[in-house]
Amino acid sequence: MNFGEGLTPEAIAFGLFTILTIGGAFGVVTTRNLVRGAIWLIVSLFGIAGFFVLLSAPFLASVQVLVYIGAIGILFSFAVMLTRGMTNLKERFNSQWWLAGLAALTAFLLLMMGVVIPVFGNTIAPVSDQVTSTVDLGVALVSGNQYVLPFEVASLLLTAAMIGAIVIAREDD
Amino acid sequence: MTIPALGDLNLYVALPAIFLALFTTFLLIIDLFIAQEHKNNTAYLALGALAVAFVWNLLTFNNNTTAFLGMFVADSFSGFLNMIVLIGAMLTILLSMDYLRRMGIEQGEYYSMVLFSTAGMMFMGSANNLIVIFIALELLSIPLYVMAAIRHQDVKSEESGIKYFILGAFASAFFVYGAALIYGATGTTNLPAIFTAVGEIVNTGSDSIFYLVAGSALIIVALGFKVAVVPFHMWTPDVYEGAPTPLTAFMSVGGKAGGFAALLRVMVVALPALTVQSGDAATVWQLTLAVIAALTMILGNVVAISQTNIKRMLAYSSIAHAGYILMAVAAAGTAGVSDAATRGMLVYLLSYTFTNLGAFAIVITLEKEDGTGTAIEDFVGLGRSRPMLAMMMAFFMFSLTGVPATAGFIGKFLVFGASIEAGLVWLAVIGVLTSVFSAYYYVRIIVNMYLRDTDKPSEIVGETQFVKYATYISFTAVLVLGLFPALALNLLGGAQITLASLF
Repeated sequence: MNFGEGLTPEAIAFGLFTILTIGGAFGVVTTRNLVRGAIWLIVSLFGIAGFFVLLSAPFLASVQVLVYIGAIGILFSFAVMLTRGMTNLKERFNSQWWLAGLAALTAFLLLMMGVVIPVFGNTIAPVSDQVTSTVDLGVALVSGNQYVLPFEVASLLLTAAMIGAIVIAREDD
Repeated sequence: MTIPALGDLNLYVALPAIFLALFTTFLLIIDLFIAQEHKNNTAYLALGALAVAFVWNLLTFNNNTTAFLGMFVADSFSGFLNMIVLIGAMLTILLSMDYLRRMGIEQGEYYSMVLFSTAGMMFMGSANNLIVIFIALELLSIPLYVMAAIRHQDVKSEESGIKYFILGAFASAFFVYGAALIYGATGTTNLPAIFTAVGEIVNTGSDSIFYLVAGSALIIVALGFKVAVVPFHMWTPDVYEGAPTPLTAFMSVGGKAGGFAALLRVMVVALPALTVQSGDAATVWQLTLAVIAALTMILGNVVAISQTNIKRMLAYSSIAHAGYILMAVAAAGTAGVSDAATRGMLVYLLSYTFTNLGAFAIVITLEKEDGTGTAIEDFVGLGRSRPMLAMMMAFFMFSLTGVPATAGFIGKFLVFGASIEAGLVWLAVIGVLTSVFSAYYYVRIIVNMYLRDTDKPSEIVGETQFVKYATYISFTAVLVLGLFPALALNLLGGAQITLASLF
């Protein structure tokens, strides 16, 4: 991405995703309603998925959407709704707020060092120059000498597990 | 990377398993249109599918080829194994039909679950790749967890399902870790390719040998759990006791067949050359498996004696039998014996399938709706009140002991023979001694039936049409296999695990 050329579409997208990510994160920590907090978290995670697209890692982006937004976000909502007593917090701070603040500050500084220092250091060669796309992944999953059999058996397995969960959870009629 | 044409996949040899898997998903949908009063129709459809797969399997028998370009292997070993699990599943469905209705837990999905699990066993017997083995293992197990807990009015059934699920999940994790270590050492998950890589690692004395040994140990732990050998047997009695009885029978037979098939194939195809130093005669894992087998036979048989519930007794008995079968896997560790050991294991599994399902069929006829009637005391006086039933039960008990002229004897004979041939004479001696020892608790059932009498013999509440069929089929098979073992041995022919995909 080159910002020197002015307002390219990438730069606009980057700005949007940044707003989504940071704004979402801000929403998570400021809202008093845990359900809203979970929704804000999903917004933030969606922004990160956008970054992966900009970094030409579409597979990571789709995994981010499927796993983090699809699975973990939903899991969060379920957990929040099941523990309903805690959905509306009255107190903004408890007596240990400074401990949490210190931990957050340390983590933030460490991460900043990790991000900023390499920028001025030597350029490190990428671990692998092989660019694998989602097309390669798809072909590997369905082509015969690769993983078509495990792929198909895994889908059977998921069907069996889903039906099984329903069978166990079903109320007696 | 090109996508091969469908014709290159050689699907034909995998069709019995594919058919069963496909039909199961259809059965799930068809079942929705079958009214609750007519759920037997679902069972008939499931039986039909199993029968079709069985015949299809006989047609593709002995092909010795691979499908899915090396992922799936169809040799006489997998053919025979498919036969065993399909027979086991058919008898299980016969046993389940009236039992489920009697217990008030009839659900159409039960039959689909049995079929899913059976398909998993078939894929497991044919898997030629660690990834396929893992996924097939899960496909085998997850329906079993569900079915164990299906009687959810009963706390024991729930306990059974939860225990099996949690421990089973651990075992699966062990398998993945072991497979990852083996992949790390060899760079492949394909069993014949692992064989080649292991040879190089042993010859060059590379450090990767540690990862290989650790990986194979973890795989032994995972599959050892599945087939319930000591010290990974803790779950067995509780799970067997709490699960619906036909399912207990299915678990003891089918789960074992799948687990042992994968264990034997991993050991014989991928790791036969795994020695610490090149030139050693026996493989690293042979002694490990032999010791586990010895412990399993001893512990299973000793603890079975003190049981008062027939389902728990048969659970410990099944642990002991896992020990005998593991003996065959250990024997396969000596070069040149692997074919004899494979045959021994297959015949043992076949005879154990019929015998154990037969014994469980009798237990089902005695089990009452509230779950009682399964104490060993409930067999008192059966010899007089129900002579035919008692005679068949006595015969199943003799077969489990391994008395000559029963199917159980043939299995033990072949397994002990292979073990001696492999130079594991001490193991064979332990096998014979524990077999004699086991007669004590098997014969106790017979003593209860014939030599003790009571005014009030147990009522036979569960002897319905289909249970009768299953009992007679099992009884005939045990008798015929015992008297004419050549029948099974001929079908087995030169059954062996092929390395067709590589050599």
